This record gives sequence, C-alpha cells and structure tokens, in this order.
Amino acid sequence: MIALVGAPNVGKSTLFNALTGSRVTMGNWPGTTVDVARGVWRTTRTRTCDCETCTCGPAASTEMTLIDLPGAYSLDPMSPDEALTRDLLVTSAADEAPDLTIVAVDAAHLSRSLYLVAQLREQAMRVVVGLTMVDVARSRGIAVDTDELASRLGCRVVALHPRLGRGMDDLTVAVHDALDEPVPEAREITDRPAHDLAPMDADLVREDERFGFIESAVEASTGDSGELRASLSDKADRWLTAPIAGPIAFLGVMWVVFQLTTTVAAPLQGALDSLFSGPVSSGVSWLLGVVGLGGSWVDGLLVDGLVAGVGMLLTFAPLMAIMFVLLALLEDSGYMARAAVVTDRLMRSIGLPGRAFLPLVVGFGCNVPAISATRVLPNVRQRILTSLLIPFTSCSARLTVYVLVATTFFGRWAGTVVFAMYLVSIVFVVGVGFLLRKTLWRTMGAEPLVLDLPPYQRPTVRLTASVTWLRLKGFLRTASGIIVATVCAVWLLQAIPTTVDGSFGNVPVENSVYGVTAQAISPVFAPAGFDQWQTTSALVVGFVAKEAVISSWAQTYAVDEPTDGTNPGTLGEHIVADFTSSSGGHPLPAVMAFLVFLLAYTPCVATLAAQKREIGLRWTLFGIGMQLVVAWVSAVAVFQVGRLFW
Amino acid sequence: MTGPAVAAATQRQVRPLTAVLQAFAEGASSLDEISLRTALARDVVQASVEHLTRMGRIEAKELSMGCPSGGCGGCASGHADGSSGCGADGPSVDRRGPVLVQLSLRRPGD
Repeated sequence: MIALVGAPNVGKSTLFNALTGSRVTMGNWPGTTVDVARGVWRTTRTRTCDCETCTCGPAASTEMTLIDLPGAYSLDPMSPDEALTRDLLVTSAADEAPDLTIVAVDAAHLSRSLYLVAQLREQAMRVVVGLTMVDVARSRGIAVDTDELASRLGCRVVALHPRLGRGMDDLTVAVHDALDEPVPEAREITDRPAHDLAPMDADLVREDERFGFIESAVEASTGDSGELRASLSDKADRWLTAPIAGPIAFLGVMWVVFQLTTTVAAPLQGALDSLFSGPVSSGVSWLLGVVGLGGSWVDGLLVDGLVAGVGMLLTFAPLMAIMFVLLALLEDSGYMARAAVVTDRLMRSIGLPGRAFLPLVVGFGCNVPAISATRVLPNVRQRILTSLLIPFTSCSARLTVYVLVATTFFGRWAGTVVFAMYLVSIVFVVGVGFLLRKTLWRTMGAEPLVLDLPPYQRPTVRLTASVTWLRLKGFLRTASGIIVATVCAVWLLQAIPTTVDGSFGNVPVENSVYGVTAQAISPVFAPAGFDQWQTTSALVVGFVAKEAVISSWAQTYAVDEPTDGTNPGTLGEHIVADFTSSSGGHPLPAVMAFLVFLLAYTPCVATLAAQKREIGLRWTLFGIGMQLVVAWVSAVAVFQVGRLFW
Repeated sequence: MTGPAVAAATQRQVRPLTAVLQAFAEGASSLDEISLRTALARDVVQASVEHLTRMGRIEAKELSMGCPSGGCGGCASGHADGSSGCGADGPSVDRRGPVLVQLSLRRPGD
C-alpha cells in the first residue's frame, strides 16, 4: 500500500488522478468520518537497466493500492483529517502502515511544503517526494536542483507535471527502487530541547530544528540564500518606506490628492451651488405658491431648510467622488499599505502601541467604525488610549467644512489648507497621545508589529469604480439622513419665539430659541475670533454631526437674509462678512482658529455612543472634556498668535 | 522565557523561527526587511511566519483596503470579502486587490 500525502492545494489530487485513472473508490476510513480515496496504481518498470545481474530487469506490470489521504500541512493533529494522517503514517502497527509514502511538494512554495517531509523523515519509513508546480516555480525564477534536494532530505525527489503526465515514469521507478531497498533510518535530530525548558520554548526548539533542516535543503537546492532579487517594487519600497523619505513621500502624495480634489471639483461645485440656490429653490417656491403654501411655514421648512441644506450637501458630491477615486487608486495600487508602514513607525516612535495604527487609519474615514476597531488591541489601556485619540483623526465629514471655508477664504491655496488640516490632525493625535502616555499610562509597553506588503499592481477600473461608488453612496446616505433630521430640528428651534412679539414660525431668527441660545454661548469664542452667533450655532449643531454644520449655516443665513429679493448674498459672502466683523479685521487667523476648533472638538454623537459602548461613560465624558479643552486652547492660541501677523 | 536557553541553542545552528521572532521584536516592519536582517530566503521567512502563526506565537490580521459594504463612506479598512467590519483573520482567499497583512507578536499569557 502506498500513501499519498501533502498540504492542501499542492496538486495532490491531480497527481492521485493521474496515477490511478478511473480505478478509484471513495469512503470513510474505518472508525473515522474522514473521507479517503483509494485507487489502484498499475505500474510498469519502464526504464530498462543495462546491468546484468540487478533485479530492475525487463518491464513488468505491478498493481499497488494508492490511498489519497486528506490534505495536511503537518503531522500535528489540528483536525480529524490531520489526526488520521498522523495515525496511519506514524502510530499505526507495522502491518497496517503503508509501505511507502509519496509526499506532494509545491516547488513554488518549497519551504512551506517541506515541513511535512521534515516531520516524516523523523520516522524510519520510506518517503518519496513528488515535486509539483515546477512550471509555476520556474516562471518565478525558482529552479530546484532535485538531486541536491534529494541528498539534503535523504529521500528520492522526482519533478512532476501530473496534468501533462510528465515525470510519472520517473516516479514509478523511484517508488519501486525505494521499495526494493531496506527501510531507511530516521534522520538525525540535530538539536533537542533541554529538559528544563518551558513547554512553549521546548516546542520552539523542536520546530526550529525542523525549519533549520528545511532552510538548509532550500538554500542548497535553489541557491536562494536570502539575497533578495531586487525587483522594481523592492527598489521603490526602499524609498517609500524609508524612515525619512517615506513620510516625505506620503505627505507629498496626500498634498497632490487634496490639491487635485479641490482644483478639479471647484467648477463642478460652483455649478451645482448655482443650480440649487437658483432654479431649484425658485422652482420649489413656485410650486408651493401654486398649491397655496407660498410664504407659509412649509415654504420656510422646504426652501430655507431642506433645499438649502441638502443642496449644499449635494454640491460636495463631486468633491467626495474625486477624492474617493484618488484614494481608491492609491489603495488598489498597493501604495496605501506602504503609507501604513510609515504611520506605524510614527506610532512606535512616540511609544504608542503599533497596532493602534489600524483604528487610527480607519478614523480618517469615519470615527465610529474606528472606535469599534479598537477591539483588535489586546490591552484595555491601549483600547482606552486609542479610543480617546480617534476623535482627533479628521473624518471625511469634517472635510466638507474645510473645503467650504478654505475655498471661501484661501482661493487657490485651498488644497494646501485642507492638507494642512490633516497634518494638524496628526499633530493632535501624536501630541495628545504623547501627553496621555506621559501622564496616565506611563507603564504601557509598545508592541512590535510587522506588515506583509503586497506587491504593487496596476489599479483596475472595476475595483476603483466599485470602491468609489460604495463610499460615495455611504457618504450621501449617512449625510442626507443626518441633514434632513437636523434641518427639521433647527427649523423647529428657529420657529419658536423667545419674546411675546413673535409667533410660531413668524419670528426673526436672532429672537428664536435657536438664535438666543447661540448668542448666549458665542462670547466663549470671542478670544478665538469667531464669536458671531451664526457660527456658534453651526458648531453646536456640529456636536450632533459634522455633516450638519454647513447645512445649518446655510439654513440660518437663508432664513436670516433679506426677503425683498435685493442682494441676498451667497453663503461664502455671509461667512466672510461675519468672520471679518467678529475678528476685528483679522479674518484669516479667525478662520484658521475655527477650523482647528472644528477639527478637535467632539466629532458627533454617534462617536460618543461608540465610545460609551467600548470604554464606558466615565472615559467618554473625560474624552469630551479633553477634546473641548484642547480645541478651545488651540483655537485661541492660533487666533492670538495669528492676529500678530495677519 | 524566550531568552537565554533558546538563544544559547541558537548559536549551534541556523534557527529560522527564532531569527524571525528576533527580527520581529527588534522592529522589522516587513517580511522583506526580516529576510534582509536574518539572511533567510523570502520563502523560508514566509513559511516561518505562517508556522509561527499556527503555533500561536504571532497573530495575523488581514486588512483589505476596501470599504465595508453598507458601512461608513470613508472607512479605510474592511473585510477582504467586502462584508462589514474592520479587518479579518487572514490571509484569506477572498482578496480584492492588494491586501495588507498585519502581523503582531504574541507572548505567552496574551
């Protein structure tokens, strides 16, 4: 009886079929539920020998039973399949054990496949290695010297191509020759664990000895001693993941992304803005007039609320689409994996756990799944620390506000300003992380981490389009839901009067509950240069979600603007006028202070809910307080220093 | 203890697994870097990492850079098969495009 074994996906079944043809029966191995195929292997000794006395003699037909054991990487039973392989080959009685074992070994992944051979050679048994996937290995530049490999392994090695029937005769001869010889001795174990070693370390010594055996066989038979063939990808990685050049390249790439996003999207945004503030608003007003609701509260809710708010969101759709396309291209090409190496190094340099990079990278998309992703961290302190830092990562909802404000105030420098906000975000994460590590968690150790980088590849249109669409759809769906809800809430608050002069739905906005509350809070922001109540109210609404900041801004100015049709002004013009007035003639530092505050304070209630779930109420409240303090102090510092120069 | 006894034994012959763990602990950040540091073939390093993962000495987490379907519009990480969530036990066969595999060291008691 001959046993055929090998790791999964090495071509074992193809070899079995090639050897047995249709002479196969399937069934459970006695006493187990493991499916095993049995076949009849008819062999003829096709290679004639020119010697006179040996027994290889003329061709003769022989029939042998071949059993195809389940795929097994090793003899360590991790599953019933592997347990059967071990039982049959190693622990069964001599009369039940196979006479010889053929091990199918993948030449393209030699080291991985040879582990089973290393284990089998520790037993006194006949082994023949059938080397499969030789053509795949050759296409990757791996040429295996079968004689050298046989000499190192201490058993016969035959190169095969079962699908084409190549090498089958050589295998037949090798099996017969091995059967004709006495059972070989087990290979010598060169290193055994000391008796006093802990079980885990003893395991490591045992396994290391096997891998040492494998390594020497691979090196001798393939000539691969670890000197990497420097491919174009390797050369690029030496620069793109280098400690200094890597971060510079990453920053350069991200600057180009934001510059392209804002430059290309600007005309599209302008056109959509004109469409919503012009024909769409007029059309809805006209329709309401036709049905007799013109000038009513319904008109206010639909035109000043939903059309202004949702319309403003939709103007950002081209911008987000362009950014998502660029990011998808970077991801699909494999560059983003290199960026992760750069980020990881930054995490480690400040003593943060390396694994925290994953949730933090996710946070640049959305803080909510990022908080959930902290579960990958094994230590509760690491989870709390990372959860407290995630709100400082600038999520895509904040991007819309950056772009609106940056294009309004900084013109062609808008892309650079948006890019700078992401740098400030990283500074906050690193700075606050460093402070917390130095104060609250001084004993937390950093963890090593390694990244297996995928090769670079040409991005595909299908994948890029599908990822972009998924993200854009997610952004629009989430944002539109939030905006409709907040627009209705803001409209309600703006409709409730605080004085006896007004009535519901017929009150100047500054006298409404909304306006009066905002005016009460706004002096807090006077030192930061943006204490106009319209901006304060937008920040309060932004506590719910950042997608709603622009819509509530637009809604407030739309309600507030003159209704006689004279020079209503755009949202940008209103904002410029208000910032100029509140900052005492220093609008640029005030705008920068506003952006910094927006970046650093509580991202949204959904993030708070996720934080409460992951780290509890106490740490969530601590986080809110910390973010507000960091945001306010930073904003005041930016304005007070900035006003000295601009 | 991963140290003295194992390290002493290391001097007698090539110990690929220990060498990989050591490179890992010393801050190597990619398999190519481990290969350079240990002078082991890339194939041996790859097989060693897979085996150490099976032994429970290191942990592999696959991160596709694709967005989870139905999740947040800007999520930079998701399951390799596109389902919701962040990261998947990896490496998996359902890869879509380049995949980042994060490996982290596990010590006894983790």
